[in-house]
Amino acid sequence: MRLTTLRPSLTLALAAGLAVVVYVSVQNWSGSPVTLDAVGAATIVGVSIGSLYAVSAAGLVVVYTTTGVFNFAHGGIGVFSAFVYWELVENTDGPGLPNWLGLVVVVLLVAPLLGVGLDILIMRRLRTAPLVVQLMVTVGLMVFFLTLTGQIWEANRARSVSFFWPGEGFDIGDFRVTWHRFAMIVIALVIAVFLRMLLFQTRIGVAMRAVVDNRELTALNGARPNAVSSFAWALGASLAALAGILIAPEVEFNPANLNDIMLIVAIAAAAFGQLRSLPLTVVGALLIGLLQAYNRQWLSYGGDWRFVDDAIAPIVLFLVVLALPQSRLDVGRVAHNLRPIERTTRWWEGTIGAVAIVAAAVVLANGWLNFGFWDPGAWNQIALNNGIAALTLALIGISLVPLTGWAGQVNFAPLAFAGFGAYLFFHLAGESGNALWIPVVGLLCAPLGALVALFAARLSGIYLGLLSLAFALLMGKLFFPHPRVFPPKQGGQFTNLELFGRDFDERKHYFILLAAVFGVAMLVLIVLRRSRFGRRWVAMRDSQAAAATVGVNVVWTKIVVYATSAAIAGMGGVFWAISKTSIDSVRDFDVLVNFEIVLLMAAAGMAFPVAGLFLSFRFVVEALGAKLDDVGNLDFLVWLLRDFLANFGPGLLAIGMVVNQRGAIYEMGKGFAPLLPWRADAREEQADERASKRVPEIGELGLHRPFTSEDVVELDHRLGIVDDITPPTGYRHGTDPAEVSRV
Amino acid sequence: MSRKWLACVLLVFAITAAACGSRSSDDETGANTTPTAAPSSDDGGSTSAPAADDGTTGDDGDTSTTPAPGVDCSVPLEATEIGVTADTIKVIVMADSDSPLAPGLFQGAADGAIAWGEAANARGGLACRQVEVEFWDSKLDPTQTVNGFLQACQEALALVGTTVLFGNDTNDLNSCPDMAGNPTGVPDLAYITTEPPHQCSTTSFHISRPAAECPYSSGERNFVASTGAIQWALDQAGGDLHGAFLVPSDLPSTVGASVPQIAAQEDAGVVYDNAFGISGRATQAEFSQYMQPLRESEANFVYNGSNDQTMLKFRKEAADQGLDVDSITWLCSLSCYTPGFLSEGGDAVEGTYVWMFFLPFDETDTNEELAAFVDALGKDFPEAWAAGAWADGVLFEQVVNSIVERDGPNALTRQAILDELATVMDFNVNGWWGDVNFDSTLNITPCFVMMQVQNNEFVRVHPEERGTLDCESGNVIEVTANPDTFVLD
Repeated sequence: MRLTTLRPSLTLALAAGLAVVVYVSVQNWSGSPVTLDAVGAATIVGVSIGSLYAVSAAGLVVVYTTTGVFNFAHGGIGVFSAFVYWELVENTDGPGLPNWLGLVVVVLLVAPLLGVGLDILIMRRLRTAPLVVQLMVTVGLMVFFLTLTGQIWEANRARSVSFFWPGEGFDIGDFRVTWHRFAMIVIALVIAVFLRMLLFQTRIGVAMRAVVDNRELTALNGARPNAVSSFAWALGASLAALAGILIAPEVEFNPANLNDIMLIVAIAAAAFGQLRSLPLTVVGALLIGLLQAYNRQWLSYGGDWRFVDDAIAPIVLFLVVLALPQSRLDVGRVAHNLRPIERTTRWWEGTIGAVAIVAAAVVLANGWLNFGFWDPGAWNQIALNNGIAALTLALIGISLVPLTGWAGQVNFAPLAFAGFGAYLFFHLAGESGNALWIPVVGLLCAPLGALVALFAARLSGIYLGLLSLAFALLMGKLFFPHPRVFPPKQGGQFTNLELFGRDFDERKHYFILLAAVFGVAMLVLIVLRRSRFGRRWVAMRDSQAAAATVGVNVVWTKIVVYATSAAIAGMGGVFWAISKTSIDSVRDFDVLVNFEIVLLMAAAGMAFPVAGLFLSFRFVVEALGAKLDDVGNLDFLVWLLRDFLANFGPGLLAIGMVVNQRGAIYEMGKGFAPLLPWRADAREEQADERASKRVPEIGELGLHRPFTSEDVVELDHRLGIVDDITPPTGYRHGTDPAEVSRV
Repeated sequence: MSRKWLACVLLVFAITAAACGSRSSDDETGANTTPTAAPSSDDGGSTSAPAADDGTTGDDGDTSTTPAPGVDCSVPLEATEIGVTADTIKVIVMADSDSPLAPGLFQGAADGAIAWGEAANARGGLACRQVEVEFWDSKLDPTQTVNGFLQACQEALALVGTTVLFGNDTNDLNSCPDMAGNPTGVPDLAYITTEPPHQCSTTSFHISRPAAECPYSSGERNFVASTGAIQWALDQAGGDLHGAFLVPSDLPSTVGASVPQIAAQEDAGVVYDNAFGISGRATQAEFSQYMQPLRESEANFVYNGSNDQTMLKFRKEAADQGLDVDSITWLCSLSCYTPGFLSEGGDAVEGTYVWMFFLPFDETDTNEELAAFVDALGKDFPEAWAAGAWADGVLFEQVVNSIVERDGPNALTRQAILDELATVMDFNVNGWWGDVNFDSTLNITPCFVMMQVQNNEFVRVHPEERGTLDCESGNVIEVTANPDTFVLD
């Protein structure tokens, strides 16, 4: 931490943050005496807990250092491996291996194979992908592994993993340190030291880091980048498995719990080590463990601060990310950001799209669609409720379009802004439900976005993502659960929306209104994209350095885009809250819900406002499943839609970004655009693309016969590129090319 | 080619896993009207066990059958309400079952309600009609929970066995139109609900009463709490129990539910030196820090208000940290009455007391309803969710029978059921559960039976006589508390 390099404003922010921490501590002091015994006891507990986090965080750092990919799936891999271990060792119907053998099999065989498989199938294709794509694919993998584990092992069933050396240990004062926990501490330290040596003092370690910096250059120096990359992923998966197996006995053994510890807390610890320093990561993990233990020892929470206890890791993450030094301009990788020039949607095209969406909503809701052989009828209340849920999520989701899709600012906290908007509306509009407050809410949410932008302005890449994650966690654990934010109320906190005396108390009307609001929001975004702001945002995404060079004020541009995004999400949050009537202050803002929104938006194509509609994915597959179920005798299709796609769909869609990095909307648009009469450009582009894929005929290249390997050798010799290749039999150096064909 | 290969590998991997792990969709959805064999009644159990002298009640053994005596099924049957046809009565059981991370969470509730429907049909049906029980999976999702209410509004006479965690939005449940177009709402015979809006819904009748004053408001409220088990434990300990209460601290609603219990137990005589806020995500290592306060205060009592896994890990840590676990009374509510508590806890949970408000599952010989339930579920140790849903089914059956006896089989409407439910007093699932009254959310059962883990089995310790519950009226204590200001350690 180079605190000396912090700007005064940031130092002030950090000081303010620390002042709040001190204030909360004083307010909630439990009165327990601070004695040497108490400090010692809390320290032992803190180190024990911290070592759990350290083992997991070390794996996260190793993968990032050796592959350049921040692996959100680290926890998912650990969870999956821990369940495989349970199957091998604990399951009474399983093979019943001794625990040490199970550990060896999983950590040294299963996990490395998993890591290598991931590298070959997925990670190698992400090498040059934009950061957003890399992150989304790993988030998709996390969701995939957690779902897979839950489905295979019916994760709700009670099961547990035994400690190594159960009950055995040694005493320090009144405290017993079990051998399992002592082993965790030792393993955490050994991993830190061993991996540090591996990375910096061995050939493979240097090669791993070199591959991250410059793959091609490393290959020219004799390394095999693919093998090195596979080794790195195998190592990362092994560490995830080791952490999962060692932590499993400590927790209620289910995927969500284990992942929570392996990921959220580990991320905070890894951020302490700036994602690269293993020793600092271990220190960070121990620090979090100690803070938790000291907090539990001397602080008692009630009323306003009840959920602080659960927010220590997010607070540490937030403060650490704030204290990180200013990111360097990423000039060396500008080439990776280059992409084809996009055609921006015209305002009248957007108008047609918006009108089409509203028309579709009106037609579907009223049942005006009749295919003759099949009349779907008017949507019933359930379909309308699903439609409302989908559209309100869409309104929140499109807040990511300008921020992430155009400006390239990773944001995992759309629901934090949405919830803030709902909070403002609840307190401003009260029971009136007056829609005229919604623009005011948007205006008031913008400063929150700007505030986050002030912190984000210094950061880029993964650190920006971590900042937004910390923000989402802090809002979810500290702000929303506060008893005065969404106080429970009989009949719900939100009443029907009222606009110019009209009460939207019927679902059909509210659904159509939402479709209209979404259409307008889409149109506004399309206009924004074509404006000076939009061009600046895209320029900033392509290269901050280049944008600054041509006169773009990057900080101000970030503030504007964050404020815009927050305003959109805040207004979307109002519609979302009204549709729910009551807000669940904890579960509605779970970080996994944020992940799902971001994930589906990315899979659809974050740069396209219409991608918001993709958030209806789960509702659509379930509705289709229900329809097919009504038809009967289509059990497999019903299962495929309801059980498989509804559960695995979001994860698989995100993983699918490996092959379709710009999202489904882009691919669909590419196929659909040439059909539009005014899109001659799309038809030309399609023709060009087809032409480039066509294999030319020999005559078209000016050749009169097939070009053979012998010709290649001959050309290489003539050009002096290769001179040590054994010529083919019958070949004479200097032969006239005309003779080659005879040979 | 490589793209297709990648996609195929992922799909095959996932489909195989999902197919291996998931249950058949046949088990999860759809109405089930296939009659089953009549419930066992030849178990030799007493059907009219007398009330015990010490205030305990016995099994009245009166398992109802339909058509009820005096009901004339020869009248032309009509479709009298949404969900009621001339041939069938449709009810919906809604439970959180399939979510990606916790599949099968409350599947037991669906199983229990469906099993009750089959048993009711085997007895001849209800109101001269067959019962259709349809399962709606609310998937731990607020939108799907509202959809479940809407589905019931559109198609069912009532909800039976509701076991959901996300019942925040109850507007449709309370006021959706009945067949006559009146905003009656849907009768909701629920088992587990955690959110105050659902607990205080005007159409919800919980077999495990909310124990809180309705309508809901933040701040100070009136509550009731069952402290019979606590009073018994105090008697055993010579009046001195002091120690810690384990509060599930992840949700405001779970903290809010614990606060009146703590207040009532303190009124009863327990001294709580600590109220530890326990997160469901806490590691066992974190529990080690709670051992020092227990040791310093020489605590002899720990009450678990959280789930079985919390008690299990807390006890393991206490043993690891060298606490004299045998000198401590470990008490847990129904949440610890699970097979997993025994199988995963092993020796570590020996001696733990578990109190519950219905007869344990191994006493099928003492109560016909219990025997029918265990037989229908086909498991020696069914899930408690299944018991709750079955009990709701029996309540529904009793209410329908009352209406039909009084007004005939064409008198079934949602309004009639709501009116009848509000008058049900001393309902005890035919002697299996403790008595509850439905005229107020504050009327909880005073009954309990105390079990203890002995040799890795749940063994009845009070009242000693099988088939009985301790139902002293003094077991219920009224308290006023403000959950918002409660301070957790």
